[in-house]
Amino acid sequence: MAANDAVGRVERPGLFRAVAAAMAAIAVALPILGGPMADGPAGISPYFANIIGQIATFALLAIAVDLIWGYAGILSLGHGLFFAFGGYLVAMHMLKAGYVYDGVTPDVMTFMGWTELPVHWFGLEFFPYALILIFALPGLLAFAYGYFSFRSRVAGVYFAIITQALTYVAMLLMFRNDTGFGGNNGMTGFTKVLGFDVGADSTIVGLATASVVITLGIYLGCGRLMRSPFGRILIAIRDEEDRLRFLGYDTLWPKLAVWTLSAMIAAIAGALYVPQVGIINPKLLSPELSIEIAVWVALGGRGALAGAVIGAVLISALKFWLTGFAPDLWPFILAGVVLLIVITLPNGLLDLRLPRLRAAPAPAGGAASGAAAEVGQGG
Amino acid sequence: MAEMGQQQAIQVDGLRVSFGDFVAIPGLSFIARYGEIHGVIGPNGAGKTTLLDVITGKTRPKAGKVLLDGGVDLLRLSEPEIALAGVGRKFQKPSVFDALTVRENLELALRLEPRSIRAEILNWADSRRASRIAEVLNEIGLGDAADRLAGTLAHGQKQWLEIGMLLMQRPKLLMLDEPVAGMTEQETAHTADLVRRLKAPDRAVLVIEHDMAFVEEIADRVTVLHEGAPIFEGRMADARANARVREVYLGR
Amino acid sequence: MARRLALLISLICLALPGGAAALDRVAILAEICSEDFRAQQSALESLAGAGADNGREGAVWARAVVEGFEGRDLRCGADGAYIEGPEGLVSAETLARAAPEGDLSAPSVNLRLRATAASAGFVLALFTEDSIEARLRAAGRLDRRREAVSAPVLAAALEIERDPAIAAVIVEIRTSLLLGDPDPARRIEAIGAIATDATLRNRTTIAEALENESDPSVRAAAEAALAEIDRTLAIGKALATLYSGVSYASVLLLAALGLAIIFGLMGVINLAQGELIMVGAYATYFTQELIRIVLPGALDWYLFLAIPVSFGAAALVGIVIEATVIRRLYARPLMTLLATWAISLLLINAVRVGIGTQNLEFHQPAYVSGGFPVIGDFIMTSNRLFAIAIAIAAFFAVLALIRFTTLGINMRAVTQNRAMAGAAGIDTRRTDRLAFGLGSGLAGLAGLALSPLYNVNPTMGTGFIVDSFMVVVLGGVGSLAGAVVAAFGIGQINVAIEPVYGAVAAKVIVLLLVILFIQRRPEGLFAPKGRR
Repeated sequence: MAANDAVGRVERPGLFRAVAAAMAAIAVALPILGGPMADGPAGISPYFANIIGQIATFALLAIAVDLIWGYAGILSLGHGLFFAFGGYLVAMHMLKAGYVYDGVTPDVMTFMGWTELPVHWFGLEFFPYALILIFALPGLLAFAYGYFSFRSRVAGVYFAIITQALTYVAMLLMFRNDTGFGGNNGMTGFTKVLGFDVGADSTIVGLATASVVITLGIYLGCGRLMRSPFGRILIAIRDEEDRLRFLGYDTLWPKLAVWTLSAMIAAIAGALYVPQVGIINPKLLSPELSIEIAVWVALGGRGALAGAVIGAVLISALKFWLTGFAPDLWPFILAGVVLLIVITLPNGLLDLRLPRLRAAPAPAGGAASGAAAEVGQGG
Repeated sequence: MAEMGQQQAIQVDGLRVSFGDFVAIPGLSFIARYGEIHGVIGPNGAGKTTLLDVITGKTRPKAGKVLLDGGVDLLRLSEPEIALAGVGRKFQKPSVFDALTVRENLELALRLEPRSIRAEILNWADSRRASRIAEVLNEIGLGDAADRLAGTLAHGQKQWLEIGMLLMQRPKLLMLDEPVAGMTEQETAHTADLVRRLKAPDRAVLVIEHDMAFVEEIADRVTVLHEGAPIFEGRMADARANARVREVYLGR
Repeated sequence: MARRLALLISLICLALPGGAAALDRVAILAEICSEDFRAQQSALESLAGAGADNGREGAVWARAVVEGFEGRDLRCGADGAYIEGPEGLVSAETLARAAPEGDLSAPSVNLRLRATAASAGFVLALFTEDSIEARLRAAGRLDRRREAVSAPVLAAALEIERDPAIAAVIVEIRTSLLLGDPDPARRIEAIGAIATDATLRNRTTIAEALENESDPSVRAAAEAALAEIDRTLAIGKALATLYSGVSYASVLLLAALGLAIIFGLMGVINLAQGELIMVGAYATYFTQELIRIVLPGALDWYLFLAIPVSFGAAALVGIVIEATVIRRLYARPLMTLLATWAISLLLINAVRVGIGTQNLEFHQPAYVSGGFPVIGDFIMTSNRLFAIAIAIAAFFAVLALIRFTTLGINMRAVTQNRAMAGAAGIDTRRTDRLAFGLGSGLAGLAGLALSPLYNVNPTMGTGFIVDSFMVVVLGGVGSLAGAVVAAFGIGQINVAIEPVYGAVAAKVIVLLLVILFIQRRPEGLFAPKGRR
């Protein structure tokens, strides 16, 4: 009962190392070409550095989704929730720190009519505390939701849609002013991050570099984890969860572990993203973003972290480029890309050079009985 | 019943299973003993697979008892716990981990003490694994394919690999659900050979099959099920002679 | 309604005993001509009551006299009164042409008399005018000119009035008139009469009367009446909530039925289901526009003509989606999610670019505007009733289709065991395609049903997919009965929570309930029975 669609073993050590090397090269080049040599011929403008930094956080987000979808076969259409969670926490940290240390009154206080920040902002000016929350809260949320879902064997399409519903509901909640997170307007007007002026070129380049470095670190760490026995257990869950259960593995715990880990990585990505774009609002929770993350992974190739990174970089770079001059075109291109991959490249771009392990979508009979079986299981 | 003294591996008593209004098994009692290969045959809908589902914890019965090794009440355990207690099940459809190599498949199946996932991950490189894997690879005849991805194996090879994974566990009760369905004659012969070798003094093998010839070839004893109730128990040759069995199964 | 009226009339007759006497035309005309202010005033008041006492003919006569008096066309002479008409003098007594003897003089008219005459004219217009507009205008003016109005006359006017809007105005004037009566007993009875029609508006009227009331017995009556009205209003409000829940559920059911059929059959969740609703709504719109051009006379019936069109358009889009995309993805349900999402993105943006983002304007025929007042402020609005009717009809049609047609039998067979059904000679591919068309068509019908209710624009469908899916989860896959119960449950929870905690809280609570629910029963409310 493969809850996941056909994925062969797509890890390719060469590609994995190449992507790691590319990230490392960017991490080294960025502070040099964006700093002292910014005005040189190969110089990187702060604007461009900022885009690189944003894309790095998207790559991180894609890694998070690939862990659970590509490896464990659990599709989340709600990772925007954890991304935004990290983003909101870091935004609150920056505003609170600005308020406490520099006396900058956050806009959100003005238009919410607050005379002081509500109680849930308590202590957020301390970065270590904020950092703990960035890990702990999304992790807890994911753990609780995952525990209830996996325990009752909610899987496949059911799980995916419910994650989306969860994110959708969170978006509706955050759009309300009385939820206490700035409502529709979200939060903006950050002044400093860790004591650095957010508008300064050096901070922009620094944040971008930090994003690339952290993404690289998590990429390498996850790559190691996925090559470990833990990764193999996840793959086994993806391919034949029932078989594994009947071998005596209670699959609840590995699933829960990777799901929680994935949520935390997404939260880190959000925490890196928000200081770079300077604003957070409930749009990050829209179903579109969450599905787009899955599209990055599907394009790059599930079950290979390198693929996820490549997919995220390609699509978001294309989006940055296109929305500049033809924003109306973007949805059509995105939809076209999705249909193309889904129909012709089950394993995404990795299919281009990889012989398929399993036959392509089998004719109705056998294939659909798999689908029916899955329905039975999910239902 | 000359083997009265022989120990019971699995004892099913007064089992009743229903799905809504549909009664799959109205009342079933049966015993499989250590050291035996026990065939369960019956026409479609006789309740064979439901019986397996109950023993492995997938389906919960309305009434009855299922005891492993004379004392372990399987109805109180979860599916993984039942597996760890010593019940191995081969699915009808070959189910192996396609994206892992044959060796990795077997590695996953070996559960060393203490049997926890954490311990499993920490003790992956335990030397006992390698020797046991080599043993089983040899036994199922996939030694040359050890580093191939399971997804690239032929249908029959996948069946053997799955049996190999069960052997890694050293189960007390090994249950095979239609092990030769869809196999060529040659593969069937190889499988029969393999199943015979699964026989061990500390193990009961339960084979659910359609293929009468295959069961006759391997089973020490058969139970014939009809509409969820046993209508015959004994040697296959006697089953063929039994009028009731002929009527419902061999029939016409 | 009839009971209420009868009550009012009896009350009014009680209040003014002996009101119904035939008019002595000669005497009244003599009073009018008397130059005695009081007599003239009384005569005008009697004339105003002519409609109540003397039928239409009397009212026509009285109106002629009143308008003659007001317009200074009345002439008084020694042998009677005459009215100066366009064709010469007529007798004020018979309205027949007449030639007077002797000198004629116009009676004197002061401001006060004039106002009374105008008021009497409006009253009489209620009895004599044939056009609804004219009566409505008269009723409106009467509200500000009450000099000649009395409760019994208004009761009589109400009795013959057929137009609800005019009746409403008359009722309002009457109640305020009654509440101003100096006799406390009449005020109490007036309050009782008002309280029989428990609307928020009447509650306000009584509450205002209570504020200015000093008589303890009247106060007690008013308070009792308020309590009674509050009770009825509460029932009405509950029913209204239930009703809007049912209508929301109907739309949800249509969308979810399609989703459930497709999911049960193919394990595919069609994320473009919301956009198929949008396609149905746009098809309805284009049907309307086409009829406006081709058959303008039949415009009112466009919603019925749009039934096959909206179903067909969405079904066609669905079948195209199935044939080009879904068919290739049967073994990969998760990829199908992405693919159908991409299709929804395409559809939304194609409509946005091709047609525009504005809300479409729909003609509202009589059968989907207005409604039937039931109890309290609860009005059973026709547009919601229409949606409910469409949903019920579609549900039974689907039920029949699944029970009795070959396609239905094939669908059930394939849902239960695809391989077996295929082996038994069922063309599973064709069954899938037709079922996908059916499921999509149902979404199209949902679009039709909600077009008189909600805004129709390119993104209208996005809000529905989550709720529809919750219906499928809650109802259990492949169970139509489950879908109905779940749709109504979710519809009710939504509208019940919404007024108290807001729409967002309603969504949050529904989602949490569904998540908790599938903890207990992962198979849904009505799981198909069998081995899992």
